[in-house]
Amino acid sequence: MKVLRRLFWVAMAVLAAYCLGGIALHRGEHINSTWLVVAAACTYATGYRFYARFIAARVMALNDQRATPAERLRDGHDFEPTNKWIVFGQHFAAIAGPGPLVGPVLAAQFGYLPGTLWIIIGATLGGAVQDFVILFASMRRDGKSLGQMAREEIGRVGGIIALLTVLVIMIILLAVVALVVVNALRDSPWGTFTIAATMPIALLMGIYLRYWRPGKVMECSGLGFLLVMASIAGGRAVAQSPALAPLFTWSAITLAGAIITYGFLASALPVWILLAPRGYLSTFVKLGVVLLLGVAILFVRPDLQLPAFTRFVDGTGPIFAGKVFPFCFITIACGAVSGFHSLISSGTTPKMIAREWHALPVGYGSMVLESFVAVMAMIAAGVLQPGVYFAVNSPAGVVGATPAAAAATISSWGFPVTAADMSALAHNVGEQTLFSRTGGAPSLALGMAHIFSHLGGSAVVGFWYHFAIMFEALFILTILDAGTRVGRFMLQDLAGHAFPKLGRTAWKPGIILTSAAVVGAWGYFLVQGVRDPLGGINSLWPLFGISNQLLAAIALCVATTILLKMHGAKFMWVTCVPLVWLVTATFAAAWQKIFSPAPAIGFLAQAERLEAALAAGHAADPSATRALIFNARLDAAVCAVLLLLVAAILLDSLRVWFGVLRGTREARIAEAPFVLSALRAEEL
Amino acid sequence: MTKLRKIGALVWEILRELSDERAYRRHLERHGRAPSREEWRRFSDERLRARNARPKCC
Repeated sequence: MKVLRRLFWVAMAVLAAYCLGGIALHRGEHINSTWLVVAAACTYATGYRFYARFIAARVMALNDQRATPAERLRDGHDFEPTNKWIVFGQHFAAIAGPGPLVGPVLAAQFGYLPGTLWIIIGATLGGAVQDFVILFASMRRDGKSLGQMAREEIGRVGGIIALLTVLVIMIILLAVVALVVVNALRDSPWGTFTIAATMPIALLMGIYLRYWRPGKVMECSGLGFLLVMASIAGGRAVAQSPALAPLFTWSAITLAGAIITYGFLASALPVWILLAPRGYLSTFVKLGVVLLLGVAILFVRPDLQLPAFTRFVDGTGPIFAGKVFPFCFITIACGAVSGFHSLISSGTTPKMIAREWHALPVGYGSMVLESFVAVMAMIAAGVLQPGVYFAVNSPAGVVGATPAAAAATISSWGFPVTAADMSALAHNVGEQTLFSRTGGAPSLALGMAHIFSHLGGSAVVGFWYHFAIMFEALFILTILDAGTRVGRFMLQDLAGHAFPKLGRTAWKPGIILTSAAVVGAWGYFLVQGVRDPLGGINSLWPLFGISNQLLAAIALCVATTILLKMHGAKFMWVTCVPLVWLVTATFAAAWQKIFSPAPAIGFLAQAERLEAALAAGHAADPSATRALIFNARLDAAVCAVLLLLVAAILLDSLRVWFGVLRGTREARIAEAPFVLSALRAEEL
Repeated sequence: MTKLRKIGALVWEILRELSDERAYRRHLERHGRAPSREEWRRFSDERLRARNARPKCC
């Protein structure tokens, strides 16, 4: 039996290597998506069985005899020992956002290969390790947050920097995801109607849950889902109605205004009215769609139309500028390595883990599953004809404002597409145009609709497209309203030190003021993105990727410090290797975004070019150009602040590491003392 | 068949955890109360306040 088991794992490892080699070396004919699926699944399984178990047993020395905080501090509320698969589901639902779906779609401009390899290898050796180690560290410290652990293990500076970085990331994140929604819904009466309909549906669900059937969340969510599906079906009629279509045909700037207003209201209103019912619905829809996409890919097994590499690895990409290194590695954050996950791993999850070994499937397993979602997103982007993919994702400022000009530019890159093809495709999915729908969501929806339509016929491709748009917009809006609220709490926490009244979360003027400040901050970046002639994604997505990866660098600094204090230098490579890679890629990207002499990449060069145009009198709209110059400098400043913050925490960590290694600093770890577990198996 | 039923039950419990229905049951057990509109309101207000003070992932 033991021999058979060994043979099985040898076969698994060989299959992983064979498929990875296959996709890496395959050229010429289209590759089937099965190669990507098998390469990913076998690599994750091998990584989980050997690397993650090695970390669990040797590095962390997980011990099921040791009582977890869920058992020791059990209060039936936050701290509650829970079945490991239930915690797994909860943790996966919490870490899976739009990032693993949108990032790979954008990075597909380099071809399917760089992004796919980064997703699979990055998650196995970096992202899943980060999530797992932070979950373990928090579990051994009574469920403490990343900021608290940074303060205790590294120092006061680390704690404050972690808090500030999270606040900056939240603002950039909210702006960029709002931009994705705006670009998906602009001039789309079908999409706008569907999303607008989710507001009264959420209100109805809120009232249903509060007054009619209290506590019946599943029943209420089922009802909400049926109503949302009905609104998607109704959206087609709205889009075809000469009277109703204009009412829901909104420009990008109008949509941005609506989303900013929505963000403010959702942050200031009681949670039960809008936020809670929408949150429940979005979680179920998200999990359902991910499952559906996985099953559909397995059944359909589509060929990838995108090549392994495109010419844009040289940095001249139309979607975002910059070479494959470092920009592929910051464009795909969630799905490979995401700093944000460390906030979840040190949030609710460690308070629910019943046995220490459960951290393995929850921490490592959830992340590799999320990585698998990113591979599926890459497949969904890859099944599109490259010409269509670039026509949808390239901004009008790069390819031209008219369909004929855009088609000619994209065809000249070697990706043939015609205005007639695009018009027919738009007509098929019930849209007026699909040119320059930047942000990743529309092309992902097209790819998903393409895959799903194999199961339901091409007649329903429009329905599937809008179903995918609804799914993306629904949970992006959930992140917007919840994120604005969290940002408000953080700001109140910070401002409360200077003005204690502002720190009181029940004080109405404080709520309104801080909500407006947070909404104003991300709203500013959103409007900046909407007005950007290069589509906004070119500047905002890299900023988001950089900030997210810098947060991962902070988390890995904390993790390395803890491993160093536990074992000396013996196992610090486990977190140090991904840390060195992340710091190299992210600092390189941030440096280029600030100082690159190419105006398409460097913010300062972009400001200089615009200034020169203004001085020479070539600017068509001087006041708009002045705003663009200011925005480019603001983006450079934000990038520089993030770099400085993380450089500070890195130096602080290095100081602690050298002190511990030289013996001049006490290697005291702040773990809770050992208590023998009394939890019985039947309690789980 | 039993295994399939077990998996189905587990999936159901995961969905109930995600929907806070399990947490509500724990709340009722802890306080020894019966389900009611007021109790749900008390539970969900506290639960949602705590949940929405934490960052959501990207």
